[in-house]
Amino acid sequence: MTSPRLPRRGLLAAGPVVLGLGALAACTDGGSSSGSSDAGGSTGGALTIFTSSEELSFDPATSQNLAITTLGLLARRLTAWKTSADAPTELIPDLATDTGTPSDDGRTWTFTLQDGLLFEDGTPITAATVKYGLERSFAKELTGGLTYHKVLLEGGEDYEGPFSGKHLDSIEAKDETTLVFHLNRPYGDFGWIASTPAFAPVPEDSGEPESYATKPVASGPYRLESYTAGSSATFARNEKWDASTDQARTGGPDTIEYSLAQDPSVVAQTLIADRSDAQDAFLASFVPTAQLVQAQNDPKVGDRLVTSGPGALEYLALNTQSEALKDVKVRTAIQYAVDKEAYRTAKGGEISGDYATTLITPGIAGREEYSLYGDAPAGDVEKAKSLLAEAGVKDLSLRLVITEEDTAAAESIQQGLARVGITVQIQPLDENAWTSEVPAGDGTGYDLVLSSWQPDVPSPNANLTPLFDSSQIGDGNYNLARYANPEVDKAMLDASSTVDADEAAAKWAAVDKQILQDSPVVPLIYSKNSFLHGSGVKDFVIGEFPAYPNYLTVTLG
Amino acid sequence: MIPALQRVARSLGVLLVVLALTYAIFYMAPIDPALRMCGKPCSPTDLEAARGFMGFDRPWWAQLGSFLAAIVVGRTYGSGDVLVHCAAPCLGYSFQYHQDVTTLIGQRFPVTLSVAIGAVALQSVLGIAAGALAARRQGGIIDRVVAGISVIAASAPAFVVGLLAVVVVALRLDLLPSGGYESFVDGPGQWARHLILPWATLAFLNGAVYARLVRSSMIEQLGLDYARTARAAGLSERRIDRYALRNLALPLTTLVALDIGALLGGTVITERIFGLPGLGALLLDATSTADLPVIVGTTFLGSLLIVLANLAADLARPLLDRRLAVGGRRPATPTTQETSS
Repeated sequence: MTSPRLPRRGLLAAGPVVLGLGALAACTDGGSSSGSSDAGGSTGGALTIFTSSEELSFDPATSQNLAITTLGLLARRLTAWKTSADAPTELIPDLATDTGTPSDDGRTWTFTLQDGLLFEDGTPITAATVKYGLERSFAKELTGGLTYHKVLLEGGEDYEGPFSGKHLDSIEAKDETTLVFHLNRPYGDFGWIASTPAFAPVPEDSGEPESYATKPVASGPYRLESYTAGSSATFARNEKWDASTDQARTGGPDTIEYSLAQDPSVVAQTLIADRSDAQDAFLASFVPTAQLVQAQNDPKVGDRLVTSGPGALEYLALNTQSEALKDVKVRTAIQYAVDKEAYRTAKGGEISGDYATTLITPGIAGREEYSLYGDAPAGDVEKAKSLLAEAGVKDLSLRLVITEEDTAAAESIQQGLARVGITVQIQPLDENAWTSEVPAGDGTGYDLVLSSWQPDVPSPNANLTPLFDSSQIGDGNYNLARYANPEVDKAMLDASSTVDADEAAAKWAAVDKQILQDSPVVPLIYSKNSFLHGSGVKDFVIGEFPAYPNYLTVTLG
Repeated sequence: MIPALQRVARSLGVLLVVLALTYAIFYMAPIDPALRMCGKPCSPTDLEAARGFMGFDRPWWAQLGSFLAAIVVGRTYGSGDVLVHCAAPCLGYSFQYHQDVTTLIGQRFPVTLSVAIGAVALQSVLGIAAGALAARRQGGIIDRVVAGISVIAASAPAFVVGLLAVVVVALRLDLLPSGGYESFVDGPGQWARHLILPWATLAFLNGAVYARLVRSSMIEQLGLDYARTARAAGLSERRIDRYALRNLALPLTTLVALDIGALLGGTVITERIFGLPGLGALLLDATSTADLPVIVGTTFLGSLLIVLANLAADLARPLLDRRLAVGGRRPATPTTQETSS
């Protein structure tokens, strides 16, 4: 689901079904880039969030929400993100007093909770409640969330959750406020992992496991007042939340109402018109193409149309296990043959994103600009032809599998490769069939795939490991190039084990290049996302990462 | 009585076939609902565990058997300490909504019922009136206008008509809400205000079928011997129209019953455009998220409603035409316009 679909990881970040995200606006007369914002709104008012999602799940164990979207309003975690339009996203403490202290070997991480934190019912938020929340995420009936911690915590592979009375010893609640995590290997980014939903506290007496999804106990500035799937959810103030303990949330509006199952085209029209009932509202889904053009040309919209900076990486994966693409020279030839200019035009032109020549997403530490395969976005046909000749390849025919909405983009790839004599057959599939054939398939069904990726946390590890580690091939995982290089696996393990941030960033930058030298994917563009809000909404900011607005700091004017 | 029982038995058979087909189709389709429940990253062990827990690791006929049994006796998912109960009549359990499908459908049904009742009432009244007027003034301006509108309505996509209605009536003229649903219990006024646009959209799209059916049947009826005789005997044209319309009762009943059944199963596009949390919106979401239990549950309910509506129309036929009550056979004339039985 890239343009016009959500990046793969972003799929559940802001809400599932998004219709036609489309050509995304850049900073033009008809829109603002990344930030809104009319200096500081105030406290109070009722914010409405329109979303095409039919349902919302408030269970941290099963959630894949980014730290700055819906669940973050209700549930705090050990750490949080500070996003701003003109600086990389920072890791900041949330429930904890700092972002975690690693042991010298990077295998033990200690967090200390702030004193006096309370759940909405007035019971204290303790180390034990965070431990319980994490343990729940191991239970079989509570799967579907982000699982980075599950493969890191010692003994996690055999643990099946707390409901049978067993506990995971590698999460140690030393006292009321001290939590110690014992990992099965050194891990430098554990502070980021502690910002994922499963690190939210859950009281032990929170009832039946599956009912928590609709009856959560809030630790954030809001509590869930009512929820009807398919219709609406209302968040009211959590009186037990103390703003002075929270660096990530401003708790601006008095209430937040989610209006579910909304058609993005209709909502976008309503917001463009700035109707009285939509002035204190924003659309969580990307603005559909038709309304995007309309909004850009409508002077009334102005900076209510907010466009992110370059975000999710859109790429062409080359199936390295496919017979036709096993030779790295052939894959390198494709790097030169692809016409990124035509691709970007098919996606809506300059406003849809910036050209990509590297892998790590902008806004993430460790990103370095470089270009291994020339600087011309239209490619280098002669170079590609000579590489194919060197490889002794003639009449190459490849199958490109895409989701239905990517047809125009796929044709641009097809035409680009045709310039060097490569025939591309395009096979469009529906989203479910695509998932079964590509991430969950055995790799025999495709040579090329169009996809995109937005990491779950702003760390290069979440950027590169899911796409290029050999353990991430098949079973629904996203190493779509089916790229297996033991040296790269080792280098990524080494970089992810490095505790010193600067040292880790340098290692990741090297891994980025090391991977692209093998040419498993062709980076195409870093896509931009556009959002619309009403005239009453202030502080509507999209940080450098991720390319989504930060719900936690939105206020009403 | 015997034919009635036969019809009931036949309807049950149809339901079973639809269910078996639904299961078979989704079993053969390249869709794995467990992938959504596996988490990210997803290990092979987690994926296998998710499949097992949800019951998708068994052959389709075994899953179908469990589905049917659950309607009567309920069902429990998982094993050991980890159990999720679904009480009878259980139509499956959605692991995405964390709710049993019966409850989900129960929450959505009032919305769809509200849409269906109003839409069928409006479309049948408008469609029949337009058709009858056109037939009476055959070749005249009214006939041409009705024919023109019918062609547009029959060929316009629901999405375009709905979106146009929202943009013009709700956003530009600001006469009605652009979407959403208010419960009838909370206030019939607001309930109706939120439903006028969906009703009108559906009535416009479906009413054309009624208008065309009534027009052609009426023209045929008015040319039959009995109409000519009645006219010769000096009966008023209005009276003759009434006779002609009465003879259309049978095909129209079938059409209305089928429409009620189909609309109650959910109006996917209309519900999505107007932000109505009905069964259609539920089904649309389930399809995009591979929520198989919801797909099967709503498909089952949709088929059940169509079969029931059809059955009701079948059983009502003898009441509308006493000749059918005696021998259970179709009359030779004048209801040759029947679309379905």
